[in-house]
Amino acid sequence: MNGTAPVESTTHTAAVLEGRELTKSFWVKRGRGPLARKARVHAVESVTVRLDAGKVTALVGESGAGKTTIARMLANIIKPDTGEVLLDGVPAPKGRPKSYAAKVQMVFQDPFASLNPVHRVRHQLVRPLEIHHIADGHVEQAAEELLRRVALEPAAHYLRKFPYELSGGQRQRVSIARALAVRPRVLLADEPVSMLDVSIRLGVLNLLADLRDREHLAILYVTHDIASARYLADTIIVMYAGQLVEAAPSVSLTDHAAHPYTQLLLSAAPDPDRGEAPKLAGRGGPPSLLAPPSGCRFHPRCPYAMDICKRQVPPSFAVSSGHIAACWLHADSAQRGADENGLFRPVADHSAKTQ
Amino acid sequence: MTIAPTSLTEVAPAGGPGSVAFHRTRILRLPRSPKVIAGLVIMGLFGVVAVIGRWAAPYSPNATDEKNWVQHVLVAGTGPGTPFPANYYPLPLPPSAAHWLGTTVFAQDALSQVLASTQATLFVGLLAAAIATVLSVLFGVTAGYVGGGTDEGLSLVANVFLAIPGLPLLIVLADYVPSAGSSILLVGAIIAVTTWAYSARTLRAQTLSLRNRDFVEAARVSGEGRLRIIMVEVLPNLVPIVAASFLFTTLAAIGAYVAIAFLGLAGSPTSYPPGLWNWGEMLREGFANNAVRGGWWWWWAPPGIAVALLGTGLALLNFGIDEFINPRLRSAGLSRKAARKAGISASSRLGLTPVARSVWDAPSPASKVAHASAADPVLEIRGLCVDYGVGDDAVHAVMDCDLVLRRGQVLGLAGESGSGKTTLALSAIRLLRPPGVITAGQVLFHSKPISGDGPTGTIDLLAAGQRQLREVRWSEIAVVLQSALDSLNPVITIGAQFDDLLRVHRPHLSHDERWNRAGELLEMVGMNADRLRSYAHELSGGMRQRAMIAMAIALEPQVIILDEPTTALDVVTQREILEELIGLRDRIGFATLFITHDLSLLVELADEIAVMYAGRLMERAPAASLFHAPRLPYTHGLLHCFPPLHGARVAMEGIPGSPPDLRDLPSGCAFHPRCRWAMQRCSEERPQLAQLNGSDREVACWLHAGDAVVPAELAQPDPASRRPERMDAATRVSEL
Repeated sequence: MNGTAPVESTTHTAAVLEGRELTKSFWVKRGRGPLARKARVHAVESVTVRLDAGKVTALVGESGAGKTTIARMLANIIKPDTGEVLLDGVPAPKGRPKSYAAKVQMVFQDPFASLNPVHRVRHQLVRPLEIHHIADGHVEQAAEELLRRVALEPAAHYLRKFPYELSGGQRQRVSIARALAVRPRVLLADEPVSMLDVSIRLGVLNLLADLRDREHLAILYVTHDIASARYLADTIIVMYAGQLVEAAPSVSLTDHAAHPYTQLLLSAAPDPDRGEAPKLAGRGGPPSLLAPPSGCRFHPRCPYAMDICKRQVPPSFAVSSGHIAACWLHADSAQRGADENGLFRPVADHSAKTQ
Repeated sequence: MTIAPTSLTEVAPAGGPGSVAFHRTRILRLPRSPKVIAGLVIMGLFGVVAVIGRWAAPYSPNATDEKNWVQHVLVAGTGPGTPFPANYYPLPLPPSAAHWLGTTVFAQDALSQVLASTQATLFVGLLAAAIATVLSVLFGVTAGYVGGGTDEGLSLVANVFLAIPGLPLLIVLADYVPSAGSSILLVGAIIAVTTWAYSARTLRAQTLSLRNRDFVEAARVSGEGRLRIIMVEVLPNLVPIVAASFLFTTLAAIGAYVAIAFLGLAGSPTSYPPGLWNWGEMLREGFANNAVRGGWWWWWAPPGIAVALLGTGLALLNFGIDEFINPRLRSAGLSRKAARKAGISASSRLGLTPVARSVWDAPSPASKVAHASAADPVLEIRGLCVDYGVGDDAVHAVMDCDLVLRRGQVLGLAGESGSGKTTLALSAIRLLRPPGVITAGQVLFHSKPISGDGPTGTIDLLAAGQRQLREVRWSEIAVVLQSALDSLNPVITIGAQFDDLLRVHRPHLSHDERWNRAGELLEMVGMNADRLRSYAHELSGGMRQRAMIAMAIALEPQVIILDEPTTALDVVTQREILEELIGLRDRIGFATLFITHDLSLLVELADEIAVMYAGRLMERAPAASLFHAPRLPYTHGLLHCFPPLHGARVAMEGIPGSPPDLRDLPSGCAFHPRCRWAMQRCSEERPQLAQLNGSDREVACWLHAGDAVVPAELAQPDPASRRPERMDAATRVSEL
């Protein structure tokens, strides 16, 4: 298994929320009736994610890469098979206690599905306030204040609305307001803009940036759109088929992508400034997670695949300061990086286990 | 808009409110349907009779007055002149002024019996339905929400009850419980026990889908307790289904009650302890005394009709709830009357968008499109207007759109959801479903078949008949939609679908030739020919879309309309498919109308781009010109909604506000409330799409008309006019 060193933030603050070596697999039924066999989907394989206060961390990957599974593990909705989730350095409690909900909140992808259609906006905002006994006695004012924080004014007017009376962008703002109601320290946003119209996406992204800067929230931004991750995030983590492939400060990652998969992702993204058509290196689709390829899961598509890539899961190598790539191509530079700033943590004892 | 897989969220047409659920305004709308009104009237009548019927009855249902009410007939061979004493047999009286529904053979007033019976029958029906609904909600929602072993256990119980035949169990129970005859409470409870399982299953399935919905997850994440989630978040969403199953169970319970009473198991009013009058009991007495053979219809027909009428009323109400749960039933088609009133062609058949009659009478707006004659047009859309619905409620989804697709060209149609881009494209080939109606315009298809056979010359698609359209569709104009899974037939293999297509359109090919051709086509889009044996669900999203494209090019069409073909796909797959598409375009030479919300993608791909906003075309220009030198504020804003992949990170603003509601458009230019350069004139007058001083681009904006000062952002030099021989987007993408 490949361990991945967390990206060290330059300020050396303690992470608010950290997922260490998270591994999760699901069981699915193959076939029907009494002959059905259970098969294991290796959804996430030993991924480490850390979220710092006042920072946005983006989790980028294609569908099926395990992004949402990680967000749900961090939200304590599902439990990792191995690895642990640490909130302020303390392992996350069992079950779903209110104390955890009060600190870690989630924003969902589809604003049309994440608000209960039978309840007014008021209910959606007041319930979390009531559950956590925040603003007892003046919930109405507190709810209005929440709407103001997400720039929905006049707030009293929006409190009376049903979700279907709001546009997609307004709904997404309401669900962000709902997440903010408990005054969390961590916001997990799962594809918060992908269902929104293009012209209003930036408004929601800017709102998240604002919350990071003004309220010092630690934000996880899950997305498939690497350009928006570059715009919003401080750190980008790229995932492929359940494995972490690269993590770095966002500009460093997009300008000097070190992993062949990240390079592929960047070359495929729409870019009107591009002078000529991009050459795609690594065609095809992601592998089945029922029987993922051995070693590096990208090796069947990788134009630079070497022998070792098929045999061993690459550990994370430091490419430059704060920039790691799980790719054997960087094995040498990692040694250098380790010498220079001590970022590289060898995890070779794990990697021998596979195959 | 996306459609969630659950049946509770259906998307209303024409960008209406997305999720349709149970809330007050819609409940008020419910009684409008004539079916629901009829159902309510019937149920109301029965309700009144049930409450006051017993007291309003002219006689007591048990009262017998043999002397006055019953006709006695002498049995032949008895009485005077025979050795036997006179023997009479009774005949019930037919309807008269004193007895509106005549009498029974026991000299009882039939009308009074029907009136008195209504109460018990209805009471048992409602009581049983109430008990059954409570049981089904308890079982169904608990099983659905808790899941796991609880679910399996509860489902097993429900399935056992489903497997036991209801009526025999009912008969055994009713017979076994001695006091059942006198207590309608007990009868109701027994019926409830045999009918709850159906609704429990439905509710379990719905709860299962609701449980995984985001809003339930959100409640969980916010720390809400389990019971409260079920009661406050899940249950209100089930109300329409609970209501429907309540009505259904009422109907079933009344049927069951009448049935066991008919069998004499619900207690007779004349036995001890006495049972209550009900319709089943009336029927039983009638049948036991030869009412049918004797032709005494007034005795047995009224309770029979009452049962049927009550069933009709409940079914009508249930139908109203069905329409309410599933809005698609409501808008499945245009009402014929409304359509005729609006002058719409009556031949609004499936797969043929209706066209308002005024379209054919209108003079041809040929002079409007000036630039069309310049190049070699293949599809010309002139002044197209499309509404959803007719009359005052109609939503104008597309207004006065002109668009010309040239041979071999990629024309991009960009816009946000609700801008009318899909409506425009689908109505041009008349694939838009009712309630969509074309109210004005002309769509000319200038056919020059690539493959040799097929229609030639110019065809007006809006005036074309079913047969002419069939010749053109797919073989000359093909369509690829966003969801390939919905477009491919799930029950036959990909190969069989190719085979069907080729057999109809290329009848001279043998089976093997068709199969080989299908394999060739798959290989053209980068798939292995083995995939012909696969079913749609066995392919990944990208593969399905490739298969769809292969099917679209199978007949070498002149035009392919692509509606968001890659939106649901990952970027790498998207890029691969677009590369293949452009390669095919170069080989076969079809023209492409590419519809997408992703303007940044179009800039790389299209030769020319048209931008739509709120149902109108607002700007049309060569792709490079549009990207480097937008003239429309909306285009400028849209281009600045895509963060760049390189360069310094700077804060971007997007476009303030949100896209307008088509039912309530702003005055003047629809974009003016969101426009940073809006002037007084913009809110008063609507700008027309007009050619921009001599160039081959058009824009609808007051900033470029008259003496307005054009802001610097909208006056960038046009790359097309700068370079005499520009390397246009067509050659650029063909290098892909």
